[in-house]
Amino acid sequence: MVVVKTIQHLSKQVEEYFNITRQVHQIVEESGVRNGFVAVITAHTTTGILVNEALPCVETDISDMLERTVPLEAPYAHAHFLPTYGATSNNSQGHLKSVLTGNHCLFPVLDGKIVCGGAQDIYLAEFDGPQLRKVYVEVMGE
Amino acid sequence: MLIDMHIHPIFYGPICQDEEELRFRGDTFGVWKQGPMDFDELFAEWDICGLTQAALLPLDRTTTAGGHVVTNEQVEQLCRLHPDKFIGFASVDPRRPDAAEVLERAFRDQGLRGLKLNPASQRFLPTEDCVEPLYELCERYNRPVIFHAGLSWEPGALAKYSHPLAFEEVLVEHPGLRVCLAHFAWPWVREMVMLLIKYPNVYTDTSLLYVDSPEEQMMELFTKDMGPMWFERCFPKQVMFGSNGPRFRAFKLKRALDKVPMRDYAREGLYYKNALRFLNGEEG
Repeated sequence: MVVVKTIQHLSKQVEEYFNITRQVHQIVEESGVRNGFVAVITAHTTTGILVNEALPCVETDISDMLERTVPLEAPYAHAHFLPTYGATSNNSQGHLKSVLTGNHCLFPVLDGKIVCGGAQDIYLAEFDGPQLRKVYVEVMGE
Repeated sequence: MLIDMHIHPIFYGPICQDEEELRFRGDTFGVWKQGPMDFDELFAEWDICGLTQAALLPLDRTTTAGGHVVTNEQVEQLCRLHPDKFIGFASVDPRRPDAAEVLERAFRDQGLRGLKLNPASQRFLPTEDCVEPLYELCERYNRPVIFHAGLSWEPGALAKYSHPLAFEEVLVEHPGLRVCLAHFAWPWVREMVMLLIKYPNVYTDTSLLYVDSPEEQMMELFTKDMGPMWFERCFPKQVMFGSNGPRFRAFKLKRALDKVPMRDYAREGLYYKNALRFLNGEEG
């Protein structure tokens, strides 16, 4: 059995950490899947899916680390007019932060619930906002 | 306060109901892989850079493409939804037999605040006879005109019609007409500067991001393409903030301009006062 649901979020900042833990758990619990796993996958290339502790200080440290690793101003190749878009690419920072954070996470499902640690919150991380974003939650099992 | 004087509302949700029309718009304007955007998403972007108003530019391609990228009626519709935020412009194909009639209706009945023309894609020289009645209407109704100038990404657009020197005669013949040659006429920045220095009725905008990051290109424009003091010394009242959405995102351009050194009076002019003067014909 496979159940796919979508979470939509309109980010309001250039960078934002939006906690989707409760929504993902709810989708799993309402899916009818008793045993299997759940995948949380972003539909974008300038967002990430993170699993970490939902504390503001941890969010700050993650954000600072990513900013140090991928600064806004650097001689990125992806900063020019894109003929296939008719628009200018200027979001390399978002792409690279997305690479570092990954596009998905996976959790086991047992007895109709996600199995996870108490500090394992799930974030949709925005790196090129504001934008309307989509996350797919796919529950697979029996 | 920040006024964006260069927005093509191609993907604004309320005027994106028809798939075929949307495809025509994208192909004619030369913009792809983007889709309709609701106001919530749009204004979220405005909020992070303090954008308060934007000029919405339609484009009449009747004789060159058989339709409009966005119509005057659609701009009017958007302005009615947010009259405090949107400044509607009209567009008319100068080669239409009813061009003057369409423009007069836009000014008189539809509340549109200026004229937008793209000589490169509409395929006319600014000095051609067919455009003269449109200039006269702008003067009679005290409305400014924004011309596309310099490189135009629209398929089939020819730069020979949008070189800054192609406009000089219009500036001479119509000294009372407020004219914006958009995009700093890129890549002909020096020619644009020549016109800015000589003709007080000519304006330009910052909607050029063709080759670099916003930070790199704005610094290049204001400190290398031009001498670092030229803007604030020579024509501080003639450059307006413009993003060219949906090709470029306004907040990134604003972020880049914030980093360009300039005196406060020049920055205020750039961000909103020059736009008010251009629109109203008086001190902003």
